[in-house]
Amino acid sequence: MVADTGYDALVMELVMLGMTDIDPNGNVFVELATELPNLDNEGVVLNDDGTMSVTWKMRNDVQWQDDKPVTADDVLFTWNAISNPDTGSWIPGSDYINSVEKIDQYSFVVNYNTIYPGYLTQFGGEQVVIWPAHYCDIEQGFVSWDCGRAPLSNGPYVLSEWVEGDHMTFTKNETFYLADKPEIDKVIVQIIPEDTVRKTMMLQGDADIDMWINVNTARDLEGSDVAKVSLSPSDRWVMRLFMNQAAKGTTDPAATPHPILSDVSVRQAIRMAVDVDTINTEIFYGLATPTWTEFFRPPYQCEIPRPAFNPEASKVMLEEAGWKDTDADGVRECSGCTTGAPEGYKMEMEFITYAEFGEPLELTQQLIAEMLGNIGIEMNITVVEGSVLWDLAENGGIEQSGNFDIDLWDDGYAGVDPTDYVWETYSQEAIQPGGGWNIVRWDNPVVDMFIDESYTLDEGVRKETFCAIGEFINEEVPIIHLFTVPNADAYSARIEGVQSSVNDLVTWNITDWKIK
Amino acid sequence: MQTKRSLHDNCAWSALLEDHSSFRSARKRLMATYILHRLIQTIVLLFLLSIILFALVNLASGGPLSAYGGRRIRPERVELLKRQFGLDQPLPIQYIYWLAGNDWIQVDTNGDGIKDEYGTRKGILRGDFGFSYRTREPVLQEIGLRLPNTITLMSITMLTALVIAIPIGIYSAIKQYSIFDLFATTFSFAGQAVPEFWLGLLLILIFYAWLKNPWTGEPLLPPGGMSSLDSVAPWRHSLSDRLSHLVLPVLTGALGWIAWYSRFLRSSLLEILPLNYLKSARARGLSERRVIFRHVLSNAMIPIVTLIALDLPYIFTGAVLIETIFAWPGMGRLYYQAAVERDYPLLMAVLIIGAAFIILCNLIADVLYAYLDPRVRYE
Repeated sequence: MVADTGYDALVMELVMLGMTDIDPNGNVFVELATELPNLDNEGVVLNDDGTMSVTWKMRNDVQWQDDKPVTADDVLFTWNAISNPDTGSWIPGSDYINSVEKIDQYSFVVNYNTIYPGYLTQFGGEQVVIWPAHYCDIEQGFVSWDCGRAPLSNGPYVLSEWVEGDHMTFTKNETFYLADKPEIDKVIVQIIPEDTVRKTMMLQGDADIDMWINVNTARDLEGSDVAKVSLSPSDRWVMRLFMNQAAKGTTDPAATPHPILSDVSVRQAIRMAVDVDTINTEIFYGLATPTWTEFFRPPYQCEIPRPAFNPEASKVMLEEAGWKDTDADGVRECSGCTTGAPEGYKMEMEFITYAEFGEPLELTQQLIAEMLGNIGIEMNITVVEGSVLWDLAENGGIEQSGNFDIDLWDDGYAGVDPTDYVWETYSQEAIQPGGGWNIVRWDNPVVDMFIDESYTLDEGVRKETFCAIGEFINEEVPIIHLFTVPNADAYSARIEGVQSSVNDLVTWNITDWKIK
Repeated sequence: MQTKRSLHDNCAWSALLEDHSSFRSARKRLMATYILHRLIQTIVLLFLLSIILFALVNLASGGPLSAYGGRRIRPERVELLKRQFGLDQPLPIQYIYWLAGNDWIQVDTNGDGIKDEYGTRKGILRGDFGFSYRTREPVLQEIGLRLPNTITLMSITMLTALVIAIPIGIYSAIKQYSIFDLFATTFSFAGQAVPEFWLGLLLILIFYAWLKNPWTGEPLLPPGGMSSLDSVAPWRHSLSDRLSHLVLPVLTGALGWIAWYSRFLRSSLLEILPLNYLKSARARGLSERRVIFRHVLSNAMIPIVTLIALDLPYIFTGAVLIETIFAWPGMGRLYYQAAVERDYPLLMAVLIIGAAFIILCNLIADVLYAYLDPRVRYE
């Protein structure tokens, strides 16, 4: 069962294959490819002009459901459809590709205009699958062609029925290249929008999988003999506080610094005042994992010490930073502060989060506001729709236009390569509206230098660079990382082999599932 | 042989009949003119409404690109999507394209700044409501898939509500302050006060989770969907299966209407019951049943019919909460999803079609009211 959104991704996952995919631990594995290209097997060649070429070799035993072979022509067709400026789409790293050329029926080369560390999931992962050249109509365009609604399978299942808004039926693909797989003959995906109804159906034993359950459902299913919960072994979404270093409504931190948050001491004090463990226990039933750095998961895990929770030290730090409660009303004012705020300026800010996450996030927001209230910072709570929070500046998007003080939401990078994510979150170039997502307007030239250095295939250098960036983030606190919530899926006790993943849908290994 | 008196009476009757006949034909003419005027007003109203709705939908905070691209959308993708969705044009131009299409003007299709090809949109005036941003399918196709589901659910809900509400209303009025009336009044208040989402979940808990079929041990009623899935029930699509899926959403939706209609009918009847013409009807020896059904109900139903006509749009627009709780793929859910995802073409189509239904049903209500009550004049 799934809710009202995101179920169309199941079509790609169950019916189509990419060159590679990612397992729950972040390891890239082959699907249509015979091996992962790298420098050692000469699949990757670094050129003297700073560019690189990646040669992919494909399996020669994979067929479309109409018995035609899956070949390099299909990959080129897919790339041409995606990169069409009129009817195409945008996929990560596509700007780095100069050309994709066929070598023979089962191999092709991708020529990059730079060194692109994320090349392994360029034609795979959770975003890209290979489409059949002989079946899809290029004239209709990638984004609107009919073969998206009635796809030709090269994966484990065939989409045999799709009743809009109701259910999808997948039946075993008899031409699937792995013998005797999948073991489950038919998968019916029912669309049930209401969480409570899905949970009740799981408990009644009327459903086998409930995708993307929330913490309340996970707790309610604890101890059930009928329904189990699978948690992803590694996390992706880090709940975090974004602290705007430019004055609210502006985007230049140097010309118009934030009257409160532009002082690093204030940001550090705020971090010390937030009790992550209490939030975890009280709101997330212990299912969350305290996380204090961007680089907490493989392959880039950095040793950054966990910041202490110490509200008393936090108060002292604010006093020293020139923020004192001079009128004894419980809220601090500027009294010798160094941010450029006028004397007497109240330590009062707007605190925004988004509605779609649901009750746990709103409770978290309230609890954090209370914790900050305890150290003399008054937070005015606002809850908005995600589409308002994250919209473009020209449409009044709150973050892009810099129209906030502190925001709370969960973010993280897809797949296993943080390079582009780090660039668009922390680089100077990404500060301006439309340039990226450095919405806290953190401008650090040394970090920019490290980000540039991370565009390499040398894993040792990459790890060093990311950890150096992690140290800077820890020191200057542009963002406070709070905790991660694992991806959770419920499954019936009669199914074996289910493993939730942050890198893909829970069905990533459906060919290995068994019914007891 | 006719007497002088009878001759006089005949003349009077024929004059009266002639008057009545000319009155009726004049009334028909007035009605036709009235309907024509209202239809013209409707077109103007819909046009103005479309401008207001288009502006409101497009100017509201949040846009389709943020919903489409997730939390982070790269500038390159923004440009591409804006062009594909036609959002790269100024709002008035977007409105003109939406209304009248762009197949009569050259547009820039590849973002190079040069207008190179004629557009492909025909505009809603020629029946082209565009493509859904989310599914990239034609909007009318999306609506066409959902509308029959909503019509099925809501018409059965309304019919059920009427079948139950009318007898309750009549009996409550006739037996005013009886135990039945007190019970019905309490039920009516409760029916109007209970939130649909709470009632729906409660019914699922009772009839799906708690009560079981004594012979099969299966849940008594399904918790949602329009029919059983074939792996569970090979008899899928059978009438009984369909009906079993309708029971809970219909009950949930009908309760409020039952309460509302029965209460309204009771009040309407209580106003009429003491009137003198009923006393004279009873004095003429008519049975109480005949008095009630012939003389009371025909008058008491006038406001009810109007009320029903005003509620008719729900049959087309659906009910968001009921469709969500019971996983019913109808117009209500479609509308909600379109609003959340800022799927402008879909949202506009649902709003405009919904508005057209509402205006049409208002017109029907007015005409029916005037038809049923001769005292109402067309002006």
